[in-house]
Amino acid sequence: MASNAPVTARPRVGVVKFASCDGCQLTLLDLEDELLAVVDHFEIVDFPEATSSRSPGPYDVLFVEGSVSEPAHLERIVELRKQTRHLVTIGACATAGGIQALRNWADHDAFRAAVYTNPEWVHSLARSTPIAEHVTVDAELRGCPIDPGQLVELLTALTTGRRPQLRDEAVCMECKRQGVVCVMVSKGTPCLGQVTQTGCGAICPRFGRGCYGCFGPREQANAAGLTRHLQMAGDRPREEVGRLFAGFTAYSEPFRSMVTELGGTRTGRTGGDPDVAATTGGRR
Amino acid sequence: MVTRTAPLRGHRPALEGPAFLARPDLQVLIDLLREDGRRVVGPTVSDGAIVFDEITSMGDLPQGVGDEQSPGRYRLRRRGDERLFGYVVGPTAWKKWTFPSFVPLTRATKDGHKVTFTPEPTDDRPVAFLGARACDLAAIGVQDGVFTGTSFVDPDYLARRAQVFVVAVQCTTAASTCFCTSMGTGPEVSEGHDIVLTELDTGFLVDADSTAGRAILEKLPLRPATAAEQYGAAATVAAVRARIGDPVPASGLPDRLLAQLDHPRWAQVAERCITCGNCTLACPTCFCTTLSQVTDLTGGDAVTSRSWDSCFSPGFAKVAGGSFRSRPRDRYRQWLTHKFATWWDQFGSSGCVGCGRCITWCPVGIDVREELNAIAPAVPLVPETPIVEPVAATPNDFVTARVVASRQETVDTTTLSLTGTDPAFAQGSTGQFAMVALPGFPPLPISISRFLPDGIELTIRGAGPATKAMCALQIGEQLGLRGPLGNNWPLDRAVGRDLVIVTGGIGLAPLRPVLHAIVADRRRFGDVKLFYGARTPADLLYRDELERWGTRHGIDVSLTVDRAGPEWTGRVGIVTHLFDQGAWDGANTIAFVCGPERMMQATSTTLAGRGVPASRIYVTLERHMECGIGLCGHCQMGKYFVCRDGPVFSIGQLGDIFGREGI
Repeated sequence: MASNAPVTARPRVGVVKFASCDGCQLTLLDLEDELLAVVDHFEIVDFPEATSSRSPGPYDVLFVEGSVSEPAHLERIVELRKQTRHLVTIGACATAGGIQALRNWADHDAFRAAVYTNPEWVHSLARSTPIAEHVTVDAELRGCPIDPGQLVELLTALTTGRRPQLRDEAVCMECKRQGVVCVMVSKGTPCLGQVTQTGCGAICPRFGRGCYGCFGPREQANAAGLTRHLQMAGDRPREEVGRLFAGFTAYSEPFRSMVTELGGTRTGRTGGDPDVAATTGGRR
Repeated sequence: MVTRTAPLRGHRPALEGPAFLARPDLQVLIDLLREDGRRVVGPTVSDGAIVFDEITSMGDLPQGVGDEQSPGRYRLRRRGDERLFGYVVGPTAWKKWTFPSFVPLTRATKDGHKVTFTPEPTDDRPVAFLGARACDLAAIGVQDGVFTGTSFVDPDYLARRAQVFVVAVQCTTAASTCFCTSMGTGPEVSEGHDIVLTELDTGFLVDADSTAGRAILEKLPLRPATAAEQYGAAATVAAVRARIGDPVPASGLPDRLLAQLDHPRWAQVAERCITCGNCTLACPTCFCTTLSQVTDLTGGDAVTSRSWDSCFSPGFAKVAGGSFRSRPRDRYRQWLTHKFATWWDQFGSSGCVGCGRCITWCPVGIDVREELNAIAPAVPLVPETPIVEPVAATPNDFVTARVVASRQETVDTTTLSLTGTDPAFAQGSTGQFAMVALPGFPPLPISISRFLPDGIELTIRGAGPATKAMCALQIGEQLGLRGPLGNNWPLDRAVGRDLVIVTGGIGLAPLRPVLHAIVADRRRFGDVKLFYGARTPADLLYRDELERWGTRHGIDVSLTVDRAGPEWTGRVGIVTHLFDQGAWDGANTIAFVCGPERMMQATSTTLAGRGVPASRIYVTLERHMECGIGLCGHCQMGKYFVCRDGPVFSIGQLGDIFGREGI
């Protein structure tokens, strides 16, 4: 599937979306300094946010935004995978299921009925799931939205044929490198930076707030250890700690286990297995 | 309103020792540093912490601000005074300027088939650090060792470092996380600075320690410090030392730690550790980096840069096929053992300076001191045996014991094993003695050379009629005992330190229980050296044990004899000369010495020369004793009764009566 060989001259690039807000795609358009070089090096064949031209593939590189959230998504992602050499998921929705995956802990039908007058017209799946749950993914760019620097790095790596340098380390590392004073230690602000993958440049702690984990769990994230500390040393109630994890990447392990164990999805439920909730909710 | 003191330039050459700088005149110092073209970096308040940043005036300094630090917690507070340095180290380390978190190293370009590598320029603008603490200076020294002290030198570090001017500040306060005292780095500023300030109520005690520092001092509006100011400054720093105490006894720590690679605590701490890496990046000595390439889209122009990395990140030890340290416990162990043990092997120093940043800035409050003390404890596991109440403790009483074994050690020396002794003897401790009596002979003080569960051993040299009679005792015969008497060797003070034992001939007998105690719990002690001399090889006591202590228990046993036959391949000469040879440092040493007073005197002089303080050189004195309980008056030495107050004394305790003729 993916190889480290450089992508051939002027590779065909597509940008597609599933359930998402389009913010990550826009990061590509926001690469103002690099945009001309990008279109020089890449042939953008499908990018609804940018151009009306369309292509069904094949794609050398396909950026996939959004989560699998509707029945039609299930077939479409499989078809796109067949057309694609390098499939790159972008953003928290595509890589983790997104904020909409909070419904995975809730009663899907009850949600639909509460929001829509004619819920039968809404064709949604009981669970919002990341792309990687359905097809093989070659690279992922995390975040809500993705980081422009990481996007450029990925594009550059594709042109030179090297492995993209997307570090799997704690946000804390970026905080310390930038001399940001730890908000947890100096202010007692709960922060997920320790268990969250870096790439954002520690933007939230830089502005004095705690990381809310939009880049998702890093490798071997000790979410249980952080949870114990926040509960015990911080004397915080279970659900408050659970809520920290119940964000854009809640459905990624081990955040998922923390939400299941502690609650905090603001649905009135506390805990419970999201898959059981989602699959039995509508059939009762 | 404080008026600026007029410069005393005319008086400067006469200004010996510390001088006084009024607080408002600190601005003069900042101006002088800046006029010389330096950026001045010092403490500022930023985001609720004391953060080092570029400053231009005194107004940038945190006046009247203090800090509160504990594991995982840092808060600023108002002090209620005017002080500018009334806090300790914050989250920034000075390495930010000597070893920045991100440094471009090489630019690589490709032109057709030709590639060119060009070093990136370094930032070697002069900089002055204002407010570095003793631990900070030690940390700079440690990184000097890493980057410039071995075969390969880091030019970027060297260029930046060479331009650093250091204005150090003595700590006048301590945080709960400080442990410089244990790491031997502070709180007193002793080296690595150009100028040192000690903050007082209205200004600073100022001193210089370099030519550049003295040149600045020449231009400062100083006056000689009063005796009261000097005393006040010294007392403040001394109080800081006392407040910190000795949280992590460091002697022998590398060996203790490396002996615990399988300790269950590693897994326990890894449950708490998030492996976020904060400790390593807050650490002023951690130096690990990782390279990254920044290329343009054409790939023709690439800059390789390095940035701080951490052994806590899973990717740090990854190779194709996986990670060498896949488990968090592996990574915690790597960090701790590197800092406190293997750093010594690589760079000849500890990797830790005791600044406490890793404790405060650990988001989940893991305290490295607690982990060290749990994994490689140095504190006594068992409290020192209390001195037991002696039995037969009147001038007219003895209890009896029976000889169960008699072993001839040398031609004139015999070890008696006694049983049926009062249980008090089994609870005696190292260095104590017994008054031993046989009918018809005067009672004599004899050191207990071994404590057994149901008895003791006495090693006796048959020098006179009474001792000869004792040596001649047969199995089954009884003798009289009073004891155990006297004080003991302070083994609890030896825990975690290096121990030097110097003795000769029969003098090994009172020290033998010390060696038994060390062997029983070897890892509580650092390096142990035994220097033992005898007249001839045949006069060496406990030869089997000497062999075992050396080969099986990691005790460095050195022997010497005055006269030797052809069979002796060891050293010849007096023991004082023997232990004076070889390289060893006395800074963390405690010494136990037993021998004739002249030998002990010569030995303590040599020990003092090695840096062993008088308070840690212990000798055991011999005096005429008839009762052993301070009632007969024979054994007085100055204010002491040797039998009751000794026989073990520190040289410091004895003062100038030790070795004085006729005392």
